[in-house]
Amino acid sequence: MHLSHLKLTQFKNYESQHLDFSPRLNCFVGFNGAGKTNLLEAIYYLCMSKGYGSTVDQYSIRHGDRGARIGGTFVLDDEREDRIVVKLRKRQRKVIERNGTAYARISEHVGRYPVVIVTPDDINLVLEGSATRRKLLDNSLSQTDPQYLNHLITYNRLLDNRNARLKELEGHPDHTGLLGVYDAQMEAPAMYIFEKRKEFVDPFTELLTQAYATISGRREEVGLEYKSQLLDTGWETLLAERAEKDRILQRTTGGIHRDELVFTQDEHPLRRVASQGQLKSFVLSLKLAQYRLLERSTNRTPILLLDDIFDKLDHERVKQLLGLVMGSTFGQLFITDTDPERITSLISHDPAVEWQRFLVVDGVARNEAEWKRFLEEE
Amino acid sequence: MQFSSRLIEDAVNAFAGLPGIGKKTALRLVLSLVQRPTEDSVHLARAIASMRENIQHCITCGNLSDQTVCSICRDQRRDKSIICVVESIRDVMAIEETQQYRGVYHVLGGVISPIEGIGPADLNIDTLVQRSTAPEVREVIMAISPTIEGDTTIFYINKQLTEADVQVSSIARGVSFGGELEYADEVTLGRSIVARRKL
Ligand SMILES: Nc1ncnc2c1ncn2[C@@H]1O[C@H](COP(=O)(O)OP(=O)(O)OP(=O)(O)O)[C@@H](O)[C@H]1O
Ligand SMILES: [Mg+2]
Ligand SMILES: [Zn+2]
Repeated sequence: MHLSHLKLTQFKNYESQHLDFSPRLNCFVGFNGAGKTNLLEAIYYLCMSKGYGSTVDQYSIRHGDRGARIGGTFVLDDEREDRIVVKLRKRQRKVIERNGTAYARISEHVGRYPVVIVTPDDINLVLEGSATRRKLLDNSLSQTDPQYLNHLITYNRLLDNRNARLKELEGHPDHTGLLGVYDAQMEAPAMYIFEKRKEFVDPFTELLTQAYATISGRREEVGLEYKSQLLDTGWETLLAERAEKDRILQRTTGGIHRDELVFTQDEHPLRRVASQGQLKSFVLSLKLAQYRLLERSTNRTPILLLDDIFDKLDHERVKQLLGLVMGSTFGQLFITDTDPERITSLISHDPAVEWQRFLVVDGVARNEAEWKRFLEEE
Repeated sequence: MQFSSRLIEDAVNAFAGLPGIGKKTALRLVLSLVQRPTEDSVHLARAIASMRENIQHCITCGNLSDQTVCSICRDQRRDKSIICVVESIRDVMAIEETQQYRGVYHVLGGVISPIEGIGPADLNIDTLVQRSTAPEVREVIMAISPTIEGDTTIFYINKQLTEADVQVSSIARGVSFGGELEYADEVTLGRSIVARRKL
C-alpha cells in the first residue's frame, strides 16, 4: 500500500498544495519552519483521522481560515485506489470520507491505512514516567486484540471508582464491603491484561534488538523487561498486600496500572546510561518493531514517516538506518531533513532506488522539476 | 431571540429551562398556547402544579405515587414474593410496558459510582435489604443496566442479601453490554426478565 497523491487546502501553513509521491522514498527538505513536518502530519491525518501526539484539529486549520481539507489517494496492493478526504471545520465535527462517502463512525477508518511515525518527541517514551510506556504496550496490544481494549477500559473504570471510594472514606475502613466488590470485579480484566502484556514482551524484544543491532552495528546491546507485581505474587496476595496501604494512602497501590516496561542498555537502565545518539537509535528501533507488529496485524505494509531522524545520529548509524528502511521489507517512506544534500549523497549512488525530493519553502513544496522551472522563471 | 412581549419571553424561558427543549421549541409551544383558548393554559398550569405538589415516592418501593404507597404495591393481584430491582422510575415504566412481569419493584435511584459521588448510602439499598428479609419474599431480580457500575451495584447488593433467605437473579443479558436498560426494546427486555439467571 502507498500514498500516490496528496492535496492540501488551508492546512497549517499550506494554502493549496498538490503533490505526487514515489511509492518508495520521498524526502521533504527545507529550512526550519518551512512546513516539512506539516506534510508528515497531513499524511498521518489521512491514515489515522487525527494528528499525531498533542496535535489539536483546530490548530491544523490555517490561521485566519474557517476550514481545512486534506485529500489523498492510497494505492492498495491489488492496484485498487481509495480516495480519502479529511475535512476540518472550526467548531464543527470533522468529517472523514472514503471514496466520496463519509464514515458513520470515525473508528471504522483506523487500521485500514497503517502508519508509523517517528518524531523527535518520541524520546519521551524513554524519559517520561511509566504511563507513557504502558501506553506503548496498550496501543500495540489493542490493535490486534479488541478484547484487550475492552478489559483495559473496564479495569480503568473500576480503578477510578475504587480510588474515588478510597478518597471518600478518608482513611477509614470500608464497612460496607464495596472495596471488596471492586477487588472481585477487577480480577478478570487485570489477569487478562497481565497475561497479554507478558506474552507481548519476548517477541517484541526480539524485533527491537534486531533493529537496534543493525542501526548500532552491534556496538551496544539493548533490552526490555516487563515488571509487574503480578509476576511475583498472585491476585489474592496482591489484594491482601494492598488493602492496608490503600486505606492510608487513599488510592489503589497495587495492580496492573503500576506495571512498568524497563528499557536497558548493556544491562543498565537505558535512561541513565544512554548517550543522545544511543537514545535516538533505541527509539527508532522501538518504532521499527512496532512497524512489524502493525504490518502483521493489518496485513498491509505500513507507511513510515521519519521526522528529523538524522539529528544526533552519527554518519555510520544514519547509513545503517537508511539501508534498513530502504530494504525490500519496508514500504513507502517519507523523510524530512534541513540539509538538502545529505539524503542525496546517501542514496544517489544507488540508481535502482526510485525516489522523489521536494523542496519546501514557506508553505510551498515543489519537486525537482517544478523547482527548476520556478528558478528559471524568477 | 428578540421578544416584543415580556410575558412571552418569561413563558419561553420557563419552557426552555426543561430538558430536551430549546428556545425554538419553547417559542413554538408558547405561541401554540396563545392561539388556543385560555382554559387550555389554565388546565396545563393546574395539572403541572397539582402534580408537583401531590406526587410522592412510595415508601415501600420508591416508585412515584399519588399516595404513600404506590398503585403497584397496593395491587392485590401482584406477586409480593418477587422484587424487581431497578435504577430508576423510567425502568419501572419500561418493564411494565412489556407486560411480562407480575411481581413488585424496588427503585434504587441510580447505581453505585463513587467517581460521580454516588456511594451505597446514597441509594435505596438499606430499604431493599429490609424488605427482602420479610418471610413472603422469595426472589430478588436485578434489572440493572449492563454497565461496569451496574455490575458493581449488582454484586454489592447480592453481598448485602446473603443474610436474607432469598434467591437473587439477574435479568438475562439480551441487552448489549454498555447499553442502557431504558433504550432496550420491549421484546428484548421482556425476554430478559423471563430468562433471568441465578446469581
Ligand atoms: N494553523 C496554522 N496556520 C498557519 N501556519 C501554521 C499553522 N500551524 C503551524 N504553522 C506554521 O507552520 C510552520 C511550521 O511548519 P513545520 O513544523 O512543518 O516546519 P518544519 O519544516 O518541520 O521545520 P523544522 O525544520 O524546524 O522542524 C511554522 O512556521 C508555523 O508558524
Ligand atoms: Mg519539523
Ligand atoms: Zn411501591
